[in-house]
Amino acid sequence: MTDNKKSVSATLAAATCSLLGSAPTAPVQAQEEPSWDFNTALLYYGEDNDRVQDLSLNMLGKRYFLDDRALTLGLTVDTLTGATPNGAIRQDVPQTFTRPSGSSAYTIPANELPLDDTFKDTRVALTAAWEQPLGRLWKTSVGFSGSFEYDYTHLGLNGSLSRDFNQRNTTVSAGLAIARDEWDPVGGTPIPFSPMLDVGDIGNKTGTETKDVVDAVLGVTQVISRNLLVQLNYSFSNSSGYLTDPYKILSLVDGATGDTITRVPAPGAEGPSHEFRFESRPDDRTKHSLYTQAKYYMGGKVLDASYRYMTDDWEIDSHTLDLRLRWPIGERSFLEPHVRFYTQSEADFYTISLVDGATLPTFASADYRLGNFDAITAGLKYGWTTRGGNEMSVRAELYRQTGSIPGGLLIGNQVGRETYPDLDAIILQFSYRFSR
Amino acid sequence: MGGRQAARQVLVEAGQDCLVGRFDAMASPCEILIESGDRETAERLTRIAAAEAWRIEDKFSRYRAGNVVDRINASDGEAIEVDDETAALLDFADTLYSLSNGRFDITSGALRGVWTFDGGDRLPDPQAVQAILRRVGWDKVSWQRPVFALQPGMQIDLGGIGKEYAVDRVTVTLREAATCSALVNFGGDLAVTRAPRERRAWRVGIEPVSAADKRRNEAVLEIATGALATSGDSRRFLLKDGVRYSHILDPRSGWPVEGAPRSVTVAADTCTQAGMLSTLAMLEGYNAEAFLDGEGVKNWCRR
Amino acid sequence: MGVEPWERDILAKEEMQLTTDPVEAAIDDHIYFSKEASSGGRGFGGGGCGCN
Repeated sequence: MTDNKKSVSATLAAATCSLLGSAPTAPVQAQEEPSWDFNTALLYYGEDNDRVQDLSLNMLGKRYFLDDRALTLGLTVDTLTGATPNGAIRQDVPQTFTRPSGSSAYTIPANELPLDDTFKDTRVALTAAWEQPLGRLWKTSVGFSGSFEYDYTHLGLNGSLSRDFNQRNTTVSAGLAIARDEWDPVGGTPIPFSPMLDVGDIGNKTGTETKDVVDAVLGVTQVISRNLLVQLNYSFSNSSGYLTDPYKILSLVDGATGDTITRVPAPGAEGPSHEFRFESRPDDRTKHSLYTQAKYYMGGKVLDASYRYMTDDWEIDSHTLDLRLRWPIGERSFLEPHVRFYTQSEADFYTISLVDGATLPTFASADYRLGNFDAITAGLKYGWTTRGGNEMSVRAELYRQTGSIPGGLLIGNQVGRETYPDLDAIILQFSYRFSR
Repeated sequence: MGGRQAARQVLVEAGQDCLVGRFDAMASPCEILIESGDRETAERLTRIAAAEAWRIEDKFSRYRAGNVVDRINASDGEAIEVDDETAALLDFADTLYSLSNGRFDITSGALRGVWTFDGGDRLPDPQAVQAILRRVGWDKVSWQRPVFALQPGMQIDLGGIGKEYAVDRVTVTLREAATCSALVNFGGDLAVTRAPRERRAWRVGIEPVSAADKRRNEAVLEIATGALATSGDSRRFLLKDGVRYSHILDPRSGWPVEGAPRSVTVAADTCTQAGMLSTLAMLEGYNAEAFLDGEGVKNWCRR
Repeated sequence: MGVEPWERDILAKEEMQLTTDPVEAAIDDHIYFSKEASSGGRGFGGGGCGCN
């Protein structure tokens, strides 16, 4: 507008002074009224076959202050019930296991995947974050996270810095998070590869264990056009300390038949019917990921596409492709179909069972989550703006994991009997966003 | 400014922790929020405010027969000698004309004859617009204080400055008349006489332009000192072939400014400054936010 | 590469932000952290619970 660089508002101030015959008595003080923006969601996650079910309430509140500073507080409460595979293989006879607490036992019918249903756990997680601009082009944030369950505590700090370039078309950001987690397993931490003992025998259990995690993220966000925004992130993560799952076991099997070695509990005691060994994972894990995301506006519809590649020193590689299409319906609502494809290759110490008499591997775990599997999520979300101007949405998704056990790992009778414990789960979420 | 002479009555009623004086002026509902529980004070201040608002309306409305603006518009080329207050407004209009490179022009009222912003799709004939442009242009005016002369057929309209000027004049008057804080609000153009004592600030709403705005916290502002003014077109526009024509006309072309935000609210030390900055921003079209941010002016723009 | 400041109208829309719903993103991150061996990517690595 003005071809000269003299400020319009300065000239205007002088002109107004002449017009009114006096200068203003105080500089203007006006701002948006501070208020809280709340984002709440109720979630149900349920797996088939009596496996895990989770119900959680998630709340995030954000309050803006002068000059784009903001405080975000988050609270999540979730309750977990149901059973999860304990790592032992099926047998064509019933199997009895001692519970992690060591105070009782449970029996799995013949030919069924052994599931441990001990876990009825409630978890409370808190987050707090403060973000603010530093000057015109820089932004920073610091945050705290904490999560509390009866057998696990997490405490973490994080911080990030970002800078805009190129008329805010390019943003470079860096973030760092550190955490100290502590395991206090029910019944104590089992000594790796020690046997599962009779009820009441805690000879192989020790105390609490800790884990330290360092995460670093480096990212670039770039505006490509009026309709297209892309992001590229590189992440590094290192965990060290106790990385084993204290409740998971492996079956000790005969080297020829592949059947689990049987066992008799001590006289008068209850205990495992077969030989089981507690798993053992390395005490260090380093992960690298490359993540890219694009948001593309197509005349009202928005496509959100992202891809992540992850590789680590446990030899797990994974690929994730996530696609969402937000489809507006009228002025106040939208439909958003969603599909996610995931595939991972197994950890190098992933195995199905331990062979009796053979040399123990350095590390071993039969946890299906370290295995070789593909997963698909397909879902639909419907959202609408209420008359009061708030937003509600519901989404329903199906998650299906199908895996395969690498051929070389199956021995004798396991072939044909042992399969990857496929998972089918439903995700239901209701969410409500409002301001106060 | 002004329409048919509305009933000139003043009313005082209770507000939220304050008293509110109401009257109509310059085609807007006017309210004075007074931080006081004393009805007598509130009535006195409201009468003072209304008197000043009506004085300005009577003196500068183009609808009042015989006032200085009417005499200028009926002058048919004759020079008119104006008083100090009118001269100050004409000087201000002249500064704004230069500051906006011709986009703000108090002689552009004639364009109203060909444009009807009723939400419909009837655009004027370009030749009709060209014809009117011959009678538009501050550069065609002769202004040698205190003598003002318009070319025959031209008109001036102080509507673009008048309301904000009135808010500031009333604010100055009320500041001298009482020690309590008052918020002077003429249909969304407002100013505060002094910082309130019993609250952090006065709360005012920006009229939401869309459903998404209603949810965001930007819809309520708080102001302790200074002024706010809003320029907007949420109701006055034309829509043809998917293109939205805002009612902000560029006097140099006779056509609407392209890419103007639907509404611009500006905070400044006086209502006149806030009003002019929001008008200048609208005239910048696509560049509105960049212009205001570049000037370091607090603003809320809606597109 | 990029756009002028006044061409950011679409990019300013809520549905064009990289994370449109932080709560839903956190929920999904937590679900997949518990059921798979990967985590994070978009920001910090999820986790912080005893589920993996």
